[in-house]
Parts: sequence; C-alpha cells; structure tokens
Amino acid sequence: MERVVQQTDYDALSCRISAIYKGYLPSPCYQLAKCGYMGYKEIHMDYINGLKHVSRRIHGKVTRTLQSSYPVMNYGTYLRTVSIDLELNGILSKIGKDQRVQILDLGGGSDLRMVPLLRNYPNLKFVDVDYSESTKVKSKALWETQGLREFLKLQEPQGDQLVRSDRYELISCDLNDLNQTSVKLDKVTDADVPTIIITECVLCYMTQDASQKLIEYLINHYKSGHWVSYDPIGGSSENDRFGTIMQANLRDSRNLEMPTLMIFNSKEKYANRFAPLQTSIQDMWELFNKIPQDEIKRLKSLQFLDELEELKVMQTHYVFCKSQWGNV
Amino acid sequence: MFDLDRIISLLRQGRHIAEETVYTLCLLSQELLMNESNVTHVNTPVTICGDIHGQLHDLLTLFEKSGGIEKSRYIFLGDFVDRGFYSLESFLLLLCYKLRYPDRITLIRGNHETRQITKVYGFYDEIMRKYGNSNVWRYCCEVFDYLSLGAIVNQSVFCVHGGLSPDVMTIDEIRSVDRKQEVPHEGAMCDLLWSDPDDVDTWSLSPRGAGFLFGGQQVQEFLSRNGVDLIARAHQLVMEGYKEMFDNGLVTVWSAPNYCYRCGNVAAVLRIDDDLSRSYTIFEAVQPQNDVGNTILPTRKPQMDYFL
Ligand SMILES: C[S@@+](CC[C@H](N)C(=O)[O-])C[C@H]1O[C@@H](n2cnc3c(N)ncnc32)[C@H](O)[C@@H]1O
Repeated sequence: MERVVQQTDYDALSCRISAIYKGYLPSPCYQLAKCGYMGYKEIHMDYINGLKHVSRRIHGKVTRTLQSSYPVMNYGTYLRTVSIDLELNGILSKIGKDQRVQILDLGGGSDLRMVPLLRNYPNLKFVDVDYSESTKVKSKALWETQGLREFLKLQEPQGDQLVRSDRYELISCDLNDLNQTSVKLDKVTDADVPTIIITECVLCYMTQDASQKLIEYLINHYKSGHWVSYDPIGGSSENDRFGTIMQANLRDSRNLEMPTLMIFNSKEKYANRFAPLQTSIQDMWELFNKIPQDEIKRLKSLQFLDELEELKVMQTHYVFCKSQWGNV
Repeated sequence: MFDLDRIISLLRQGRHIAEETVYTLCLLSQELLMNESNVTHVNTPVTICGDIHGQLHDLLTLFEKSGGIEKSRYIFLGDFVDRGFYSLESFLLLLCYKLRYPDRITLIRGNHETRQITKVYGFYDEIMRKYGNSNVWRYCCEVFDYLSLGAIVNQSVFCVHGGLSPDVMTIDEIRSVDRKQEVPHEGAMCDLLWSDPDDVDTWSLSPRGAGFLFGGQQVQEFLSRNGVDLIARAHQLVMEGYKEMFDNGLVTVWSAPNYCYRCGNVAAVLRIDDDLSRSYTIFEAVQPQNDVGNTILPTRKPQMDYFL
C-alpha cells in the first residue's frame, strides 16, 4: 500500500509538468505578478533533467503523457497549484519578510515550491516530509540539478543521508506514525515559530484515525499557524456517484485506496476535520468561476476546452480548505 | 473479401480491424453519405441518441435497450468519437450499420467529428496506439466531412448536435451550406455543432469559445417559424440522461453513461412514436467486470484522469 501511495507523487508531478509544458503554469497574473515567482519553468525542467539521472523509469513515467494531456486535467492542475500558491503567498506576506516562519509540506513529494518561496522569504524555513522512498529520489534529483543544488545551498549528503541546508530539510517519515512524525519534526522545527502546514492530496490517502490524530497533534503542538489543504471529496448528494466510482476505478486500476473519500464527502464534513479552528473551504469549481476574464482568455488560448460540464463534475469534487489557529 | 456481417461481429467484440478494411469501409460510407442532404428526412417511429464518445460497450447496451438496429430506426446526434477507449470501433460499427441498413440509421455530425478536436481529445491518439500510424484517423476524418448536419422527423422534430445559430432562421437555409469540409470556426455550420441552450435573453457568447448560447425566445421563434414542435440535441452532459427546457420545446439527450468512466451519470435515448409522443429510455454504464470477474472494460487507462 505504501508504495502505491508513494507512486501517486509521480502523477502529481506529471500533471504539473504537463501544465507547465502547455503553458498553464506559471500563471503570469497569479504566480508571477502576485507571488513574485521567478524561473518557475526552468526550475521544473531542471529538476526533471536531474530526475532522469536518478531513475529513467520514474522520468519516463512522469514525461510519458506530456503530449497528450487533456485540457480538463491541465485546468485542474492549474487550479490546485495556483490556489495554494496564492494562499501561501498571502499568508507569508502578511507575516512579513523579517519574521521567522516555517512551512511543513507534508507528503510534499516532488513539490518544488520551496525554491521560489525560500528565495522570496529570507526568514522562511521549509521542511519537506514524505515516505523515505520519495525523499530518497527527491534528494538525489535535487543534488543532480546544479542550479537547485547551488540555489538551495545543499550540503553534500554522507552515506544514505538526504540533502539539507540551513533553511531546507527533507524528512523521511510515515505520517501515519504519529510518534515518529513528532520526534522527527521536533528536530527541525520550532513550536513557537508561526507554522504553515500544506497537505496537497495527502490526507486522502490516510485513514480517518491517523489523519485526525495528525491534525490534532500538529495544531496543538505549533503555537500558531495556518493549514492549507487540497483533496478530493466523494460528493454527498443523493445521486452523486462520483466518489464511489472514483474509489472503484483507483482500486481496480492501481490498488489505490482513499479511505476517507466517502466519509468527508462534502465541503462541510471536510472542513470539520479542522474543528475547532477557524476554517473556510471552497470547491475548485467555485474557485474556477472567480478567475478574471483576462486570465480565462489566456487559458483558453492554450488548449481548446470543448466542454464545461465535465470540468464542473470533476472540480466540484475537489476542495481547497484553509484553517488558522493562534496569533498569526 | 469484404463481409459486412463479419466486420460487424468483430467490431461488437472490440476486435482489431485491418487498415485496408477500414479504408474500404470509409470509402463506401463516403459514397453513401455524399448523397444525403444536409438535413435528412426521417420517419417515425425513431430513437434519437446523443453523444457516444467511444464507449462501445455502452453503445451495445443502447441498441439492446432500444430494440436494436434490426427492428428500429435510429438517429445519432454526433460525437461518436473521443474520450472513450473505443472511438474507432464505435464509429465503424455505426458506419457498418449505415451501410447494412441505410434507411434505418441517420448519422449527424458532432463537434468532435473534426480533425482539430480529435487531435486533442483522444481519437487520434487511439489510432496511433492501435495502428502505429495515422492513416485510419485520416480515413475516418474524410468520412466526418460527409456526415449530415441535421435531421427532421415527420416535419416535427428538428435534430442537431449542438443547437441554433443566429445565421440560420429556417431549416431550409441549412440546406444551402456546403457541409463537405472541416468544421469552420464560425458561421452557421459551426454554430449548429457547437451552440448550447441557456438561460439567456438573446444570442450570447458561448464559454466554449465556439457557437452561441441561445435562450427560450430564440427557441420559440425557431419552432414557430419552421413549424416544428421540438429541437432534439445532444452536446452537453446531463447527469439524468436527458433534460427538457423551454416549455418542452428543446431537449438535450445524452447517451454516454458514466461519461469518461468517471462522471457517474446515467444515459438516455428518446423515442418518437407515430403519434409524436416522446418516451425516454434510461440506461446505466456497463460494469468494468462481469459477474465472474472477467474484464469487460480495460481499467488501466492510457492516461491518469484523476488528480492524485
Ligand atoms: C499525490 S502525492 C502529492 C504530492 C504533492 N503534495 C503534490 O501535490 O504535488 C501524495 C504524496 O503524499 C505522500 N504520502 C501519503 N501518505 C503518506 C504518509 N503516510 N507518510 C508520508 N508521506 C505520505 C506520498 O508519498 C506522496 O508523495
């Protein structure tokens, strides 16, 4: 099971690369203008090149469907990536550049957000957490990528250590094991520093019990913070079969389970996972409908989106949830 | 030897069809379709079917639930290809039926029956996967250019894939369109294949970037101007299989259950009887496995289509 879950990272990366390749990402008005990201495409292409040196198999997996990616998928990847980036940026700029702050990217996989964020926020510390299978690959790929290695000021790993630097840590850990998680996080984070936690398509692979314990522990352990989460929801209306079909498809095609898809199957139930925190949640279709006309026009020019109905069905089943606690 | 019944039987099993056979099939179909007018006259009783999108097994269910080609007449409103795994087999099966029973089946062009759209939405890739070259895709695209733009049932039901066009006031005007071409980006032919009904007062820009949105007033005017009762169209996913709008002056029929193998919708076909009464048959998607666990549909898809 662990391996099957770990492999989903290559799907997420593949989608992101495809959205970059087709020009959806980076978004000039959001990621460039608002978030001040630089070299977004180059960072990803460099990383993919590094990945090729680490494992041809994984590289092949990630780049295989580049040419033939469907617009619905690219729109969805765009929505998810941009929503999280905007939120992180909003929080970070509110906290201010001279405040110490830390980001925990739980199940971060091959996410490369740390690169632009560490560049833009000098007092930020970024911690990536994932299964050791994932972190090993990421560590090697980062080391193989000269630009990223130098930018992140990575220290040469000894033996089977992972790359690290003063501001970036890569932690191998099973988030289902709370003991292990708390010990490992304690070594590299400070409970008194404002903390931003990201779970982008991660909680959905955990059991209800493990995920709720993880949430509860972290929001109590860190004095103040924000939690930004993105996940699928199964759907709760009477005739909605999206979730059960999704579970069956993922089970049949790759043995992948999403244990809580039908438990937290609505926005309300999903948001409730973070109770008693102040939480707001939107589905991705709502977010899609807030994109300004100019940006929509740009997106449309990239690939012809032939219908909206399917996009709506998909995107109403994914949510973006943000919670806050303490004084930040 | 060109044996239509044998090809039909192979297609129904989703088996491979030799490139030369496809070539012959497409050529024969072209010759047949060439002589059809832009708007075909069809008599009742007839079963009107919406988008199929390469879902061959569901297409077989559709025939099973609605009487079958041996006994009934059919109008297909287009979008035979793209998205599903069996675009080729679905389209060829319909062509074979057309050749075998020319008076019993009318095929109308959908917005996916074009070179440009099939390159993005799966049909082209499917052919490359199945044949290693694009010849078969080219043969099929040639046939697309000959498909009708609409049909009219007993002077009373106007059938079209997408909807109305501000450039088409009367059905007669459609007859003067030169349809034998790739679907243009604008104009009457484009609109008929791309437009959608919506809650609008007048012709409005479509969010799809092609065709128009039209409202109840445009529909009522079109119906009375042309002396018809109903516009039957497809083109939009409807979770319940069909949806009537504008005082039942327009209906959307959707015939691809569990669209893209993940949307969870049911499908429908509409039967128009001799007294012009309408009845809908709802059907569900074929299960990916049969009772004893044998695979009917491949679940390992060429593309991952969830966000993981
Ligand atoms: C779908 S990927 C998402 C990766 C990244 N967050 C993104 O959105 O691009 C899910 C990631 O969560 C990680 N993950 C899931 N459950 C985990 C667990 N119990 N412990 C550590 N990592 C986990 C997987 O290894 C994988 O890298």
